[in-house]
Amino acid sequence: MKDNINTLVSRIIELCHQFPHGITDQVIQNEMPHIEAQQRAVAINRLLSMGQLDLLRSNTGLLYRIKDSQNAGKMKGSDNQEKLVYQIIEDAGNKGIWSRDIRYKSNLPLTEINKILKNLESKKLIKAVKSVAASKKKVYMLYNLQPDRSVTGGAWYSDQDFESEFVEVLNQQCFKFLQSKAETARESKQNPMIQRNSSFASSHEVWKYICELGISKVELSMEDIETILNTLIYDGKVEMTIIAAKEGTVGSVDGHMKLYRAVSPIIPPTGLVRAPCGLCPVFDDCHEGGEISPSNCIYMTEWLEF
Amino acid sequence: MKDFPLYRFGVFSLALRLPSTMTQAEIKLCSLLLQEHFGEIVEKIGVHLIRTGSQPLRVIAHDTGTSLDQVKKALCVLIQHNLVSYQVHKRGVVEYEAQCSRVLRMLRYPRYIYTTKTLYSDTGELIVEELLLNGKLTMSAVVKKVADRLTETMEDGKTMDYAEVSNTFVRLADTHFVQRCPSVPTTENSDPGPPPPAPTLVINEKDMYLVPKLSLIGKGKRRRSSDEDAAGEPKAKRPKHTTDNKEPIPDDGIYWQANLDRFHQHFRDQAIVSAVANRMDQTSSEIVRTMLRMSEITTSSSAPFTQPLSSNEIFRSLPVGYNISKQVLDQYLTLLADDPLEFVGKSGDSGGGMYVINLHKALASLATATLESVVQERFGSRCARIFRLVLQKKHLEQKQVEDFAMIPAKEAKDMLYKMLSENFMSLQVGCQ
Repeated sequence: MKDNINTLVSRIIELCHQFPHGITDQVIQNEMPHIEAQQRAVAINRLLSMGQLDLLRSNTGLLYRIKDSQNAGKMKGSDNQEKLVYQIIEDAGNKGIWSRDIRYKSNLPLTEINKILKNLESKKLIKAVKSVAASKKKVYMLYNLQPDRSVTGGAWYSDQDFESEFVEVLNQQCFKFLQSKAETARESKQNPMIQRNSSFASSHEVWKYICELGISKVELSMEDIETILNTLIYDGKVEMTIIAAKEGTVGSVDGHMKLYRAVSPIIPPTGLVRAPCGLCPVFDDCHEGGEISPSNCIYMTEWLEF
Repeated sequence: MKDFPLYRFGVFSLALRLPSTMTQAEIKLCSLLLQEHFGEIVEKIGVHLIRTGSQPLRVIAHDTGTSLDQVKKALCVLIQHNLVSYQVHKRGVVEYEAQCSRVLRMLRYPRYIYTTKTLYSDTGELIVEELLLNGKLTMSAVVKKVADRLTETMEDGKTMDYAEVSNTFVRLADTHFVQRCPSVPTTENSDPGPPPPAPTLVINEKDMYLVPKLSLIGKGKRRRSSDEDAAGEPKAKRPKHTTDNKEPIPDDGIYWQANLDRFHQHFRDQAIVSAVANRMDQTSSEIVRTMLRMSEITTSSSAPFTQPLSSNEIFRSLPVGYNISKQVLDQYLTLLADDPLEFVGKSGDSGGGMYVINLHKALASLATATLESVVQERFGSRCARIFRLVLQKKHLEQKQVEDFAMIPAKEAKDMLYKMLSENFMSLQVGCQ
């Protein structure tokens, strides 16, 4: 496709040279009938951006005219440079490329690069996207590309902002799902083996439930759900087991499947924090005979009056 | 090479405790306990020994400015209650040393007494209470005292039979909640030399829970005369030969005391059973309770696992009236062994399957859960999430904490620093 574009571009240039007063889109189409309209547009836009063509309006429509050779010559050097930079950015795909890296690849001085980037940006051929990895870092990519997750931060970021409320909601929903599954299993009064096995849900199952809930504006992957489930493990609310699964089983990855289950804590809140002292901010200053002491502690008095 | 800070769970390093090194707060607490239970003089001597460590009699008297006679009386009380021990050194010097942690155990007396009540009802409760308040007693003395006390609470005309109290006493001894005190060894050949300045008391392990064959016949008496000690008031003296008992004491010289370690083992077992009930269900916890009960006396309290128990044995030992079939029991045992809790392990296949309780693992899990509970209540659930995360992963950079815990950078940073400032986390600088 790229070759086609380059061929097309060269061909259009040739045509323009042939008709120095300018050509219309129709002319190009007649000359190369097999080329689609979109491809023509890409080629023409490139030439326009590179300053090799002028865009004119006539009473018949739009005209493309080869730019003044004198000017073209002056710009030729910079045209090539722009072309180079454009190509480097194009190669970076939707991950984008940092301006410093463009410099390494093109060997052009930074001032030139910045000029070219400004130019390309104003022509809406490229855009700068702030990378979530380093907030000061900007990467450049082609204008109409969807930036990759590693740049935007994926499902959890929206415009550089971490969507903590969204994460919280997902956390709660996943937990509710696992909780009700465990409860159903408990109430089923089946034999203990079946009860236990049915209290688990695979990450795939949870993922499916969340997708069906439709609470997420962005598409969430099973891995995304697994990172949410992990936070529930760190909350002490859920436990995980990994079992071997046959290749091809729904939800299995590399012959394994992750199963999750809602669990209750093994101890109630511990004694120390049930007494006022465990939560007291001035614990270290408290001693008998001091300004703060157990005998004049109002919280202690209140607590002892249960 | 960039240096970055790693967060890790701050291990509380307890200062290596020498017998006489206690914090000021602990010493103050010991002082209050001794004062409350035994009075000023005992408190003075006791605290002095806690502070200074091992000392001979005369030095104690000199340093505390107390008369020799009073020091002796105080030491008697303290030794009677296992709060002070003595040792004969070279050249016949006897030194006395305070057992600091034992003094603090006095805080638990109500709990020991209450526990006995739950296991052996009022009779058991009073037996342990008498032993704790008197330090050491002969069985006959305990039985009489308890029978008298129980009779006080009964309806007019009813009395408590000594036999019933004896039975409970025997049960307590069989389950090791009470034990015989070390005593003067019976010397086969009478040593013609001078007696040592202080006796070395010994007890044979097989004798520790051996109940002497006594036929204690009698019933409790209601208090009528005023010359008996007021019931319930703790008198820390050697057991008096009660005025109305003119017969020779049948078990003279055989003294009993409460076995505190056994109570601690019981608390441990309770905590384990409770944890299983919370995480799994009632039936699983009853099975674990049965297994622990079967191991009560056969497994030492510091062992990492109980002795292996076969599924057949466990089935036979389940409480009467617990109606589950052998197959169901086996299912529960398999589930227990497979559970991520890892409290129960399978050690073999004979006898229908051999199972153990992983005591050390269970205690470690309970300790971890306790720490997590403190963090949760003190700092909130977000901090608790970070705490559990760092505990699991051992070392993490700040960015990793943010990513795994899914907490925004600023919040995560604040929480880490908060826990850092209160010593729940520590920083370690690492090289990439």
